[in-house]
Amino acid sequence: MVKQQRKEVIITGFGGQGIVLAGKILGMAAVLGDKRQSTLVQSYGPESRGGACCAQVIISDDTIQYPYITCPDILVCMSQSAFEKYQAQLKPEGVLLTDRDLVIMDEQKDHFSIPATRIAEDLGRKMMANIIMIGFTIAITGLISSSAVRESIKSSVPPGTDKLNLKAFSKGFDYGMAKLKGLRKKASGRSGVLI
Amino acid sequence: MDNIKIIVFLCNWGPHAAFQTMQENHDQIPPEVKMVRIPCIGRISKALLFKAFEMGADGVALVGCQSGGCRYGSGTVNGEINTADTREIIELLGLGKERMRLATFLPDQVEKLHNFLTSFSLDIKQMGPSPILPDAPFKAHSLSFEKISGILTKYNAYGCQDCGKCTSACPLALSGKTYSPRLLVNAIIGGELESEAVKQDIWSCLTCGLCYQICPSDVNFPAFIGDLRAEIFYADNSERHQAHGGFFQSLMRSMTTPALKPQTYQSIPEDVEIDQKSDTLFFGGCGPYFDVFFQNHYRVNSSSIIHDGLRLLNFFDIKPGIMEHERCCGHDLLWTGDHRNFLKLARLNVEAVKRRGIKELITACPECYRTIAYDYPKYGIDVDFKVTHLYEILENEIDKGAVAFKTLDQKITYQDACRLNSSPEIKDLPGKLLSRIKARDFAEENIHQQTSVCCGNCAWTGCDAFSKALQVKKLRQARGTGSRLLITSCPKCQVHLRCAMEDPLLGPELIMEITDLTNLIAKTIYWE
Repeated sequence: MVKQQRKEVIITGFGGQGIVLAGKILGMAAVLGDKRQSTLVQSYGPESRGGACCAQVIISDDTIQYPYITCPDILVCMSQSAFEKYQAQLKPEGVLLTDRDLVIMDEQKDHFSIPATRIAEDLGRKMMANIIMIGFTIAITGLISSSAVRESIKSSVPPGTDKLNLKAFSKGFDYGMAKLKGLRKKASGRSGVLI
Repeated sequence: MDNIKIIVFLCNWGPHAAFQTMQENHDQIPPEVKMVRIPCIGRISKALLFKAFEMGADGVALVGCQSGGCRYGSGTVNGEINTADTREIIELLGLGKERMRLATFLPDQVEKLHNFLTSFSLDIKQMGPSPILPDAPFKAHSLSFEKISGILTKYNAYGCQDCGKCTSACPLALSGKTYSPRLLVNAIIGGELESEAVKQDIWSCLTCGLCYQICPSDVNFPAFIGDLRAEIFYADNSERHQAHGGFFQSLMRSMTTPALKPQTYQSIPEDVEIDQKSDTLFFGGCGPYFDVFFQNHYRVNSSSIIHDGLRLLNFFDIKPGIMEHERCCGHDLLWTGDHRNFLKLARLNVEAVKRRGIKELITACPECYRTIAYDYPKYGIDVDFKVTHLYEILENEIDKGAVAFKTLDQKITYQDACRLNSSPEIKDLPGKLLSRIKARDFAEENIHQQTSVCCGNCAWTGCDAFSKALQVKKLRQARGTGSRLLITSCPKCQVHLRCAMEDPLLGPELIMEITDLTNLIAKTIYWE
């Protein structure tokens, strides 16, 4: 098997958005599904009752010696305060993913955004925004195989909600794929139908 | 050459004198030429010109008086227009436009007429016989009580409760016509099928299905009318109330000839990407024929729906194939009772699709969708590929996100299409798609689905003053919302509503912009 690059991911947002669960799903999928190594460090304490919350996930083919991340390859932000706190740490070639309605940027930074919370509301449950964000992240970065993530979601979410959560994952994933397609189209100079 | 048949419609006035001199001089008139003496070429409509081809003519010439010499004034000009349109249509149909010609002569241009007939006849001989096989004559059968009774039973028409809800919903009745589905059913049950009034009513029905939606006995009135029409069609040759002189029915019947190779897709724009090896097929429909037939009126542009449909698929990275020799789906033959030719067309289409190994057929036309997806299987044609309406793909892809719509600074309103509303899988899609479009305001009160006023006609039949009244009512209603942009989803709705706008008296108060939903989406969608 070709060795894949070690990736360091930070997922941040408010406490209660399911940030830590998202980190757990990613790590579990990498280990159980893709048979790689992974670590998870979660912020613990007052954050989990509101305020900036953070999950640090490392995914690697080799043994991970140290689980803390200072400069992530992938930064997922689901709140304004989290974005402001962590954006400077992102590697220059790193990928920034945000919830479009929750993170407003003053200066235009290269990033991918999705209205995850809005889509979750349309699906009927606001709390599934994290799963949508996972789908979006997987589509854009190709971090883990989507089948592994689906399995991991099934085993992590409360019983009875797996169908809805998988639907949320597909929503986010499809959005990400559509976004990439759109970027390819734009790069080839065709952003509309008639031009 | 054997069995070449050339029909020459010869004007009574100028050229007939020349023709007579030819006969008196014992000039050799090509034996293939069958002369039909007519009062004026201006009255030979496109339908009559094409009828000759449908009945097996290999060449048709319209021979009239020279421009300015017409006794009635506009004959030559009309002849020119009709000839030009018919030539374009037979070219699309794959017959070759050279089979139809117009020539004009003065009474003393004997030699010129002789030369024309000889050279035209030679050209046609060179082109060979027309591929169109005339419709085989059928033996008219008499209407049997058992058959009619069977149809009445099949659709539970005996279960009519005389409540009259059907009449209250019927667009024809609402437009002021003395028309009632309930009374029609009662008259047929009472054995009055042979009466002229009943027959006329059977041909008048719009088959829109609004009465079916409301009927407490669940009588499927449109299907009932469809079966009755088929019975009457083969029982006698009485007036069938076909609009436009029956031109479109002739056109579709001609397409049942297997050897015919229609060339509908001659003018696909260069930017459209087609993949002929794809197992997805785009079925365009008859738009290109409408565009030619109505080109001097109404600014009809149905081909643009086909082109924009293909472009939208390309936009989402779908590159479908197209049939090189696409035929009509047969909708209009089915709904005008000609089941025999409908089945011929259906079989030809399904065979052609299967031969290419197609897994999915996509269409942007509600009639093609409904006919292929529902009516082919209903009449025993095995459809083993998936039939998808373009809107299903659009809704699915747009729902994935990452696309947006340019803002439209206009209030829009919508004309429901009956064939969309009667297909449960897709009837909600126009509403969903419209709500995504960023218009200044959407006159949603006009989406009625079950109770929407019809565009006034169906299957090119039964067009009369009440159809017009219906269209006028619809346009007034649409303009009454304050909108000046009407969105349609069926090319025929556009043809009919644009026709009403041409009214010399009411026109100005009816005119509004009309565009198809497919065109509108293509115009406004973009990757964000």
